[in-house]
Amino acid sequence: MKCIFRNKRISAILSVVPGQESRFDDERSNYNLTEEKARRMKKMMGLDRHRVAAPGVCSSDLCVYGLQQLLNEGTLKKEEIGALLFVSQTPDYYLPPTSNVIQGRLGLGHDVVCLDLNQGCAGFVIGLMQAFMLLDMMDADKVVLLNGDTASKLVDKHNRITYPLIGDAGSVTIIERCAEENPVHLCLKMDGSRHRALIVPGGAFRTPSSPETLKLVEMEEGVVQSLEQIHMDGAAIFNFTLEDVPPQIEEVLSYSGNSKESIDYFLFHQPNQFILKQMADKMKIPQEKLPNNIVGIYGNSSSVSIPVNITHNCGQQLQNSALRVCLSGFGVGLTWGSMVMNLGPLATCQTVDYEAV
Amino acid sequence: MNKPEFYQRLAEILDVDELQPESVLRDFDEWDSLAVLSVLALADSKYGVTIRAEEIRSVVTAADLADLVEAKQK
Amino acid sequence: MNFKFRHKRITGILAVVPAREQSFVEDMKHFNFPIARSLKLKEVMGYDKHRIVEPGVCVSDLAVAGLEHLFKNDLLHPDEFDALILITQSPDYFMPPTSNVIQGRLNLKHDLLCLDINQGCAGFIIGLMQAFSLLEQESIRKVVLINADVLSRKTSPKDRNSYPLIGDAAAITVVERDPEDTVIHANLKMDGTRNNVLMIPAGGFRLPSSPATAVLEDVGDNNLRAKDHLRMDGSAVFNFVQIEVPRMINELLKYAGATLNEIDYFFCHQPNRFMLQKLADKMQLPYSKMPSNVVERFGNSSGVTIPVTITSNLRDRLMHEQFKVCLAGYGVGLTWSAMLLDLGKVKFNTIIEYK
Repeated sequence: MKCIFRNKRISAILSVVPGQESRFDDERSNYNLTEEKARRMKKMMGLDRHRVAAPGVCSSDLCVYGLQQLLNEGTLKKEEIGALLFVSQTPDYYLPPTSNVIQGRLGLGHDVVCLDLNQGCAGFVIGLMQAFMLLDMMDADKVVLLNGDTASKLVDKHNRITYPLIGDAGSVTIIERCAEENPVHLCLKMDGSRHRALIVPGGAFRTPSSPETLKLVEMEEGVVQSLEQIHMDGAAIFNFTLEDVPPQIEEVLSYSGNSKESIDYFLFHQPNQFILKQMADKMKIPQEKLPNNIVGIYGNSSSVSIPVNITHNCGQQLQNSALRVCLSGFGVGLTWGSMVMNLGPLATCQTVDYEAV
Repeated sequence: MNKPEFYQRLAEILDVDELQPESVLRDFDEWDSLAVLSVLALADSKYGVTIRAEEIRSVVTAADLADLVEAKQK
Repeated sequence: MNFKFRHKRITGILAVVPAREQSFVEDMKHFNFPIARSLKLKEVMGYDKHRIVEPGVCVSDLAVAGLEHLFKNDLLHPDEFDALILITQSPDYFMPPTSNVIQGRLNLKHDLLCLDINQGCAGFIIGLMQAFSLLEQESIRKVVLINADVLSRKTSPKDRNSYPLIGDAAAITVVERDPEDTVIHANLKMDGTRNNVLMIPAGGFRLPSSPATAVLEDVGDNNLRAKDHLRMDGSAVFNFVQIEVPRMINELLKYAGATLNEIDYFFCHQPNRFMLQKLADKMQLPYSKMPSNVVERFGNSSGVTIPVTITSNLRDRLMHEQFKVCLAGYGVGLTWSAMLLDLGKVKFNTIIEYK
């Protein structure tokens, strides 16, 4: 899918991360790893620390916290909200939709269109697409896009391949109409034939939750996981990222009449530092323009990694000026979606810690 | 393809000083999922080829890997 | 909120229902109620038979079967649609999205936009709105909207409140641009403060499934269900529907400049016959204009009941004739929605069985 959106802009982004930080060095004893392997892994993947939600804290809690803050600060008023989008793979319930639960918790009006979308790594880009389309459909001024995931609940804390990289987070993005054309170009592709490369096999309707699905089974390399946890074919995902994403970046740059030089930042989904360095090298993009530091600070929070990347690395800059950015989310589905836009100045572009009330 | 150079690069990934073509990869302590990713990256960046996940799982010796990369370059 | 859509039309509807049929009389044996009282309920509510999937059958199975039927019968070509929207509350997995699973199983093109949206009873109308919205994009020529649910798998057979009326189904609706300047009006409202009226307490991330959530509990009214099971507050839903739906339909008619009499059919979500007849009474509509015969033959399949009502009642007629219809979907969320549109001269309007 290729399309252009006009007369819309992002006016604020707020990332919310769990307040408790855990360090790789402290968690190392949970893993079946020699000193040497741990050192190598830390260096290669860019690991250091990450944020994991406390038990009982859901993605919606992180998002509600952020939304409440924006409402309290006056950056957003309840009456302005035309639609509430909740993009997640870790919803509160099968039914009702989590966006309705959030609507109820915040006392939002009956005219607010609430939608839950199931999306992961490409979920920020797809959420923006949906928000732009909703604004065209309705009279309202603003759409609130919530991205939230607590993927840590889908990974065993002794799993040395996935747990050190995982992160939980929520984000709130306000999208509104603007008088300027401000074109946003999108290129999006999906390949469901490779859907097994990144999957949680059990727990939903294909293989419902049972004592069997909760059992920890040994995978290769002495790593254990259950059917209700993330199964990732690391090599397949690596190849996919290196093979399919760079051509799409070329495509979206050309589609939007840009070159690599005219883009200020390439703000990509943050699986780990190694793959991002490979991508930058392959596409001949200088490392300073393609930040790869998020996994080592917060962890990989699925669709929230792009907003966390933006608020952490460009927060100050975006509160004061505009940047031309290329966003790209790639992963589960398999899905890969890239967007070029002018971003900023934003009313707010920050990362805050979640505090349970 | 410059095979000695390939074996040298593979030796770096496996954290050894040198590598014999007939060495069985699984015997190396360092032959884990991280090493696999490093090999995939190497194949892509230095040799311009993609090694599929199934292919790398079926390779046994260092020579098998070198042959695989070389075959893909053609 | 009111919406207006132009130059859009539905060009085909296919409903897929499981071949497995169960009757209320069989179900009754598992309830904690005297047979006589259950039979009385059957009379009043209009329960009879419902369609339930075999164990292990998922929404992607029903959807794939439906799409294969359309491809095989030349009613749809895999390359001619650019978006596949799946509206479900019972996905195959938490990840990846089930729409991608369907895409993969049918080897559909990589340019296809696949989206999973979580919605239920109002899901057909919300799905149509999503389809109309996508069709505003130049690169989207045709949208395949799939509504599907297999909620019988999360309903307790010992819960007489829910089990007799639950049904499983899928529907595939093809939506495209209309060269004629047709106008479609819609209204949508949601009240999240009453979100617990229709819910499954466990299984998501608020309360993950465990052996404890599978334990059947007596919920105080002689019905037994676990936290993993669907829970519906029947009287709250009834009151909500009686108050909000007529008001919404009247507002929508006013917005569209139309009158009640102009509407040929009211195709409403089918919770049960009793509720629909009371709704028809309140709106002073003849029962013939508001079909209520789906739960007794197929069960209540959440977002799929509206397309099941249309296909099972109009069948071939919809291929040759055109009608002014009002759709109404209401339930989980709580959500209530209505849509006024011309429906007819479609390529297909059928029901098939899934074995």
